[in-house]
Amino acid sequence: AADKINIMPQDFFAELCEQIIQHLNHKIPGVNTVELCERLQTSGIEISIGDLAKITNVVSLLFSTAARNNLSTEDLVTALGSAVSTLPKHAVQVIRHVWNEQGKSVSVSEDVGNMATVGQFVDMKWKLGVAMSSDTCRSLKYPYVTVTLKVADPSGQITNKSFEMTIPQFKNFFRQFKEMAAVLETV
Amino acid sequence: MAAAEQQQQPPPSEGCKPLGALLNGIAQAAYYGKADITEELLRGQLYPEAAPEEFRALRAKMGGLLQSIASADMDLNQLEAFLTAQTKKQGGITSDQAAVIAKFWKNHRVKIHESLVNQSRWDNVLKNMNWRVDLKSQSRHIDQINTPVAIVEMELVKNGQESEFLCLEFDEAKVSQMLKKLSEIEESMTALTQTT
Repeated sequence: AADKINIMPQDFFAELCEQIIQHLNHKIPGVNTVELCERLQTSGIEISIGDLAKITNVVSLLFSTAARNNLSTEDLVTALGSAVSTLPKHAVQVIRHVWNEQGKSVSVSEDVGNMATVGQFVDMKWKLGVAMSSDTCRSLKYPYVTVTLKVADPSGQITNKSFEMTIPQFKNFFRQFKEMAAVLETV
Repeated sequence: MAAAEQQQQPPPSEGCKPLGALLNGIAQAAYYGKADITEELLRGQLYPEAAPEEFRALRAKMGGLLQSIASADMDLNQLEAFLTAQTKKQGGITSDQAAVIAKFWKNHRVKIHESLVNQSRWDNVLKNMNWRVDLKSQSRHIDQINTPVAIVEMELVKNGQESEFLCLEFDEAKVSQMLKKLSEIEESMTALTQTT
């Protein structure tokens, strides 16, 4: 991952670190790696979503470990320096700056493991369509709903998940959420 | 196999008694995914006296008719017009056969249409959904303790692939957000069904 950080321009790396620390501070639900990756690729940087995810995880772990050990900015830079000698100077600068500004407010928690398998719902987009015809049936005519859920996975990365529902499936989906709301209110 | 064999009419002509069963066999293979119902099997079971080429022609003719009917998802009026035209054609069908086909379609229309619909759904489909409400007993934030959250598990399936389980957490605010969006969809749907 360290050599991929090399090819990331400083401002992009800074933006990534900002998002990571804000996620750790619960200010944002997750890190928008997909969008960042697209922008990087548009500006000609050859980096895959997998590489970006690895970098994100590494930096996230770095910050959360530093928080747990109550490291000062100087301690962090020292630890970083001895562990990863191949980090570009601008990357170290960014990490130092971000930690200096926001490191204190990163809270230490022991329960991270419990949240491991559950993602956070962030947002939802939808589309209503009618399938008219297909190669096997000229008169399909069935309406369906396509939904895209924006989800922050446990490591904080934001992904999109889409799926389709027929009208009866949608009605059931809606009904279940209404029930959920009712229960949440009474608890 | 077919309901057509229990018709309460005077004994139908020779070509009709097993016709209902043949239509069923064709449907099983074409729409219900039973690939093991072969032409040989059908011939042996239903038309043992017929020569293979004769049977093949019959099966092709019936299969073609069923395909036309299913593709257009014909209603009763369309079906009647279509079948009547077929009885008047050279090399078409008899009126007895038309009656058997009509009865078959009435019984199977919904199921066959559903099968065709499913054949054209290639993206993730929501197969199942479960949820429960938990009381958050631990949290990164002190103020989140003892707040209820809904944990929702969605089973997503893509044609022919293994299910993917999506597990998400929703607090009360997120559920409200979701409900708002779902209401928007419902409104759109109502508008749509009113215009079609």
